[in-house]
Amino acid sequence: MAATQKRRHAADAALTAVFSMISLAYVFPLAMVLMNSFKRKAYISRAPFALPSGSMFVGLDNYRNGIRLTDFWASMLWSLVITVLSVALILLCTSMCAWYISRVRNRVTHGIYLLCVFSMVVPFQMVMFTLSKVANVLGLNTPWTIPVIYLGFGAGLAVFLFTGYMKACPIAIEESATIDGCSPLRTFFSIVLPILQPTLISTGILQAMWIWNDYLLPYLVLDLKRFKTIPIAVQYLRGGYGSVDMGAMMGMLVLAIAPILLFYFLCQRYIVSGVMAGAVKG
Amino acid sequence: MERDLAKYWPVFVLPTVTAFAIGFLVPFAMGLYLSFCDFTTLSNATFVGLGNYVRAFEDSGGFTHALWYTALFAGVSTVLINLFGLTVALLLVRGFRGTNLFRTVFFMPNLIGGIVLGWLWQVILNYGVLARYGVTLVTSEWYGFWGLMAVMLWQQAGYMMIIYISGLQSIPGDVSEAAAIDGASAWQALRYVKLPMLMPSITICTFLTLTNGFKLFDQNLALTGGMPSNRSQLLALNIYDTFYGRAGWEGAGQAKAVVFCLIVVTIALVQLRLTRTREVQQ
Amino acid sequence: MKKLLAVLSIALLVVGAVTIFSMAEDTAIPQPSASDAPAQTASPSVAGAGSVYYLNFKPEQSQQWQALAKTYTEQTGVPVTVVTAASGTYEDTLRSEMEKADAPTLFQVNGPVGLKTWRDYCLDLRDTALYRNLKSDDFALLEDGQVLGVAYVIETYGLIYNRTLLDRYMALDGAVIQSADQINNFETLKAVAEDIQARREELGVLGAFTSAGMDASSDWRFKTHLANLPVYYEYKADGITSTEAIKGTYLENYKQIWDLYINNATCEPAVIGAKTGEDAASEFALGEAVFYQNGTWAYADCIAEGLTDDDLGMLPIYIGVDGEEQQGLCTGSENFWCINKNAKPENIEATKAFLEWVITSDEGRDALANQMGFVTPFTTFDAGYTAHNALLDAASEDLAVGHTPVSWTFPTMPSEAWKNGVGAALLEYAQGTKEWSAVETAFVDGWASEYAAAKK
Repeated sequence: MAATQKRRHAADAALTAVFSMISLAYVFPLAMVLMNSFKRKAYISRAPFALPSGSMFVGLDNYRNGIRLTDFWASMLWSLVITVLSVALILLCTSMCAWYISRVRNRVTHGIYLLCVFSMVVPFQMVMFTLSKVANVLGLNTPWTIPVIYLGFGAGLAVFLFTGYMKACPIAIEESATIDGCSPLRTFFSIVLPILQPTLISTGILQAMWIWNDYLLPYLVLDLKRFKTIPIAVQYLRGGYGSVDMGAMMGMLVLAIAPILLFYFLCQRYIVSGVMAGAVKG
Repeated sequence: MERDLAKYWPVFVLPTVTAFAIGFLVPFAMGLYLSFCDFTTLSNATFVGLGNYVRAFEDSGGFTHALWYTALFAGVSTVLINLFGLTVALLLVRGFRGTNLFRTVFFMPNLIGGIVLGWLWQVILNYGVLARYGVTLVTSEWYGFWGLMAVMLWQQAGYMMIIYISGLQSIPGDVSEAAAIDGASAWQALRYVKLPMLMPSITICTFLTLTNGFKLFDQNLALTGGMPSNRSQLLALNIYDTFYGRAGWEGAGQAKAVVFCLIVVTIALVQLRLTRTREVQQ
Repeated sequence: MKKLLAVLSIALLVVGAVTIFSMAEDTAIPQPSASDAPAQTASPSVAGAGSVYYLNFKPEQSQQWQALAKTYTEQTGVPVTVVTAASGTYEDTLRSEMEKADAPTLFQVNGPVGLKTWRDYCLDLRDTALYRNLKSDDFALLEDGQVLGVAYVIETYGLIYNRTLLDRYMALDGAVIQSADQINNFETLKAVAEDIQARREELGVLGAFTSAGMDASSDWRFKTHLANLPVYYEYKADGITSTEAIKGTYLENYKQIWDLYINNATCEPAVIGAKTGEDAASEFALGEAVFYQNGTWAYADCIAEGLTDDDLGMLPIYIGVDGEEQQGLCTGSENFWCINKNAKPENIEATKAFLEWVITSDEGRDALANQMGFVTPFTTFDAGYTAHNALLDAASEDLAVGHTPVSWTFPTMPSEAWKNGVGAALLEYAQGTKEWSAVETAFVDGWASEYAAAKK
């Protein structure tokens, strides 16, 4: 027994070592971008692994340039506005909708459910042209109104996740509340919503990841002359007629990634468990 | 309760359904109709029957190439991502030193958006790796293929790993113990006990990676942009280019989108069928 | 849950901070946001008089346009928004922007071919100040007696060279030439370039030519501008100005010059797919290469990176055609302003007024000529408003010595898809993954099929 114990210890130590190496390899690309963001742009392609020393070092020039070229802070603001508003709207509306269709069972609600499931698999390219048209006609082309589009296109997954969770929830508490004279609205907000909390968090995180990183939808729908999101700003750097300013690009990549990592490390537990929950339900 | 609630549909269901109609149903129906029309904007659409579908498959559009290239990419990436994710998950559930840290690190790239990821890897692969061998990501479609594969592996393996870990953790301890007492080797325990019980997770992960592979757009756009000669173009990018890159091809673009949609929906249906039969067996 | 609340409040704080940050940024640099246009408050009488939305094609001048728009708004209260499309995406952006409710009121097409796509959107400019002040109809896009587009900038490109480096080369023993003027045909250019390439270490450069970056955002230097020469000579030989079926008579010359570029450059031909125009510009500015194919618009970038006027000269691009000693630089325009006739009437009027102001007011003329460095085709740009810099002067000297300028034929190239096809084939030829015949196919067959496709 002691021998196997020992062997197991040795194996674990070896695994720790191997995984440390792999983890380093995983983090390496990020470190490299960070390093190159301080390098004069002409040297990024020539000496990608060199430390930004001597004449290669440009301090924060790349950041300054990139921010100026892309209007980065504004993009970040709009990304935040769009993500926060959309996720809030999606969570509120779809959880209500999901409760309704899982408690009121008839052909219509079943139809809605099936359509939601169907919409989950339809690729965006199918609706990209017509959706951007519709959005324009209805004035859904600002960060304040685009959440309606996200609610529409993201409803499928959210409704699916919520109904999945609600099917497993006991209906008894809700019924007793109704008998006590609670209106459905009151029942929903004081009883159902708290029960839904884990799914709210996991759905919220999945939707936030999607919306924050989404490129094509806002690119086609948003009024670009006033609003850009971070992915649009980054892709826009492939500009300057005939060039990609790699220095500014590196700086903007760092600025685009930093807040995500911060967010990740702050609420890692929720994100990981959110993904797990989402997957099990999926 | 059901009857009480039923009257409240304007509050519970209407917002989501309206947004769903705006963001999905209406654009979808219009898109379907437009695929049979000649149009440059919505107002000047004229019905032309199947002409667009014929045009969609014309050689110059590169659709057939994109089709098999995408299928190959989705297939290979599904296998690799799941193999890697599952292996890492199996090792990590052993619980050696640093497991939590490694899990955190492996999941991290998932939160970074496709455009940002694509640019990040373009710099690393082009300048850092391939330049040494005198080639680039666009030397042929295969460099782009494996480059994209590296990006997707880096990004998605962590996500699948999380799902597999949660699947492994839900296997009751006594089952593994029983296997060990029966004298099953590690391999046998994996093959005959763990894998069968992991089937739900495997199904989900295969489904996710397969559809992700098919729908991939942002990474493709930022990494190679379809170069050289549009041969590293995946379906989604091919459709986008047909739509917005060439005047007069909007109809063909919409037709391609419909075909694309059919493919993805078929995959989803097959997947669903497989899951159902397996659930019955269990 | 508490943790989540904490995170949410942090997020809110960040939003707040970023808002303040971006506002602060706003005051420093003109931003393309309508929110900072003081229109509504400044003069309510004109606020209802429409607004201008210019989708600009030229990123090099993006900042200057923003500043000019701001000045106009301050003076008149009419909001002017300028958005610049990222390189190589003007057509995409224009197409998706035109679909939007608030479409551009002012946009541009690249010539007759671009006009075909956008004809239905182009207002007849005959009665505008813009057209009245145009020097000649050569600079307008005319169709059925309508003036659908007006050129706003005349540009010149060629082989920009680093005078200092070339002088250093000519001081070497056994240099092929003794003065830059001696390069007046392909043979000499080739001899010089190959000699520089062979003695690059002695000279302290990495190559004769800058890397021929074929990244998708940069390949226009070769798939369009360099391709202009074989097309120009074919038109000239056949006595035509456009055709639906190109023969490719001068494709051998195209190959010669392309071979010269890629084999005597700062990098191996196989890696040009990852090189960008930016790379070429920095190589040239850092003195790593002697020759750099580009045009007058590249001046600001050269100076910004540390070169001076004395370092810069420009030669015609010789491709080995008989009698090319008299050939000049390539001069023309592919930038024609069009006004969107589907815009609201008040916005159309506002756009006309804005353009009139741009070409007649002191601020507008100063911005175009002196800040953006545009040589314009308008009569209003008199003595004080002629653009000057080393490259523009090289262009006018070239005319003065009696060389025949090469006109820009690329407005007659069939489509973007044609250019992309040629560009992709050039790249694959350079990488060694395809034969030269691929370029010939893309050039000749592609031309015919793209013209046919456009007719459908």
